[in-house]
Amino acid sequence: MNDPIIQLDDVTTIHEGSTHPTIQNISLKINRGEFVIVGGPNGAGKTTLLETIAGRLPIISGTVLVCGFDVVHHGPQIRKKLGYVIQNFDFDPYTPFTVEEVLLMGRYGLLGFCKRPGSDDFTAVEQSLTQMGIISLRKSHIGRLSGGQQQKVLIAHNLAKKPDVLLLDEPFSNLDLTTREHVCDVLCRIADAGVTIVMVSHAFDALPARGVRAVVMKSGKIVLNKVIPPEQVQDTVRHISNDTNA
Amino acid sequence: MLEFLIPNNMICHATEAMLFASIGCAVLAVLITQMKISSIGFTTAHGAFAGATIGMFLGVDTTIAAIISSFFLACILGPLSEKSRMSIDTTLGVLFGSMMAIAIFFYAWMQQLGIGSGAASLLFGSVISLYREEIYGLLAIMVIVILFVAVFYKEISTMIFNRKIAEIAGIQTKPMIYAMLFMIALMVALTLPIVGGLLLYVWLVTPATIACQFCGTLKQMMIVSPVIAAIISLCGTFISFTYNLPIAPFSAMLFTVVFAASVLIPSKRQITNTNERVEMKV
Ligand SMILES: Nc1ncnc2c1ncn2[C@@H]1O[C@H](COP(=O)(O)OP(=O)(O)O)[C@@H](O)[C@H]1O
Ligand SMILES: [Mg+2]
Repeated sequence: MNDPIIQLDDVTTIHEGSTHPTIQNISLKINRGEFVIVGGPNGAGKTTLLETIAGRLPIISGTVLVCGFDVVHHGPQIRKKLGYVIQNFDFDPYTPFTVEEVLLMGRYGLLGFCKRPGSDDFTAVEQSLTQMGIISLRKSHIGRLSGGQQQKVLIAHNLAKKPDVLLLDEPFSNLDLTTREHVCDVLCRIADAGVTIVMVSHAFDALPARGVRAVVMKSGKIVLNKVIPPEQVQDTVRHISNDTNA
Repeated sequence: MLEFLIPNNMICHATEAMLFASIGCAVLAVLITQMKISSIGFTTAHGAFAGATIGMFLGVDTTIAAIISSFFLACILGPLSEKSRMSIDTTLGVLFGSMMAIAIFFYAWMQQLGIGSGAASLLFGSVISLYREEIYGLLAIMVIVILFVAVFYKEISTMIFNRKIAEIAGIQTKPMIYAMLFMIALMVALTLPIVGGLLLYVWLVTPATIACQFCGTLKQMMIVSPVIAAIISLCGTFISFTYNLPIAPFSAMLFTVVFAASVLIPSKRQITNTNERVEMKV
């Protein structure tokens, strides 16, 4: 259980067109099956950290390894094992896709050239729909769902991929408390099954009922990186969030 | 190819050309409108137009000149279209204006010099003076476009859904965008002689917007758009021949009439939309 699945060594990344680095000299090791919560104020570089792990930003120094692959040279291999629920999505109400089709898209990257989805893919889609509790929405058009429903569909889209690593950027922003707790529950079960979860979040009312690693960022640096046992999660994370948001 | 149906050679060629061009353009139209790259399609279309007028001025084959210039534009637009920022729209506006300026300049200059008697056909199109090769070319590009959509349906649909999500899902979006741009370029260059530089865009957008009114899924649009375009273009061609009207402009007007009708008639899309709203409130 102790081989790092995500490893950042002294990483500095910069946004295209920007003059100074967004995150600087960051080192971070995340083990397989860990549940990582990334906190910190707006503009701290949380999204940038996820984008870096996903290999979507130019790295000006340091190395990023995900599942043993270097993100700079092995993007395609990593993308097959990585799910990423992005922060800002804005779907046209007339986007011509149903929820089921969107979930199937999560499988497309795994299929080869010219291959059509098979029974494995449909089973995975079915499972993710059930897992997220949105099976009744399967034939609805995604553009006409509420923000919270769309958020669940996007999480399910990534789960359908059966990733080894799941990155989530503020997945709770559109969800009500009951749904937040439900999603948190689902994520815990996934983490227990061995999937590594890195979640950026502000909402600390729904917290995983398991041990987590808390990472707090500020001005592009990691200011706290601590493993928290299950019984202390409630207190510690709230405490940290009060500190950093203050 | 359709001689067995239409004995008159000229009408037959015109019909074939309109049929192949409208089907190919209508499939691309779905990609262009759904990917929201209409300004790119627009610019490529006018680039082909500019290339063709230069070609005519220099006395070379206008279709080849149109292909070269629209490929050249596709090369410029590729890197631009990878970044989807607002500023690109302005850049495209400038490019589009420049293409139009080049086209009009050479057109006007040829008029002054009294050369390029066929220049008007570049503006408004002419289905009468087509070569066999041009019709085969249109058939070929139509087949390529349909095959492209069939083979890469997974990739295309995910990119239409969301470019960033497609990339994360592991889809190679760059080669897809370039392939699409080059197909648009080729399609535009080959359709130009038939419908003309000023009206080309009707074929590259309107069928998809009409299909959009009736279709809820991308698959339906990919079928309905070319079927509608083929029917309208064929009707346009036959009516024009019967009443001796200019074919392409009349067909373009027919497209607009059908579009207006499709907006006014309460469509499936609007009905399902209100139904779902109600369901969600309950
Ligand atoms: N596309 C971009 N180009 C240039 N700078 C950016 C871009 N995105 C974010 N930044 C900068 O990077 C910093 C960190 O942003 P981000 O990682 O989105 O913060 P967070 O997710 O923690 O709120 C911000 O100060 C922002 O100005
Ligand atoms: Mg963010």
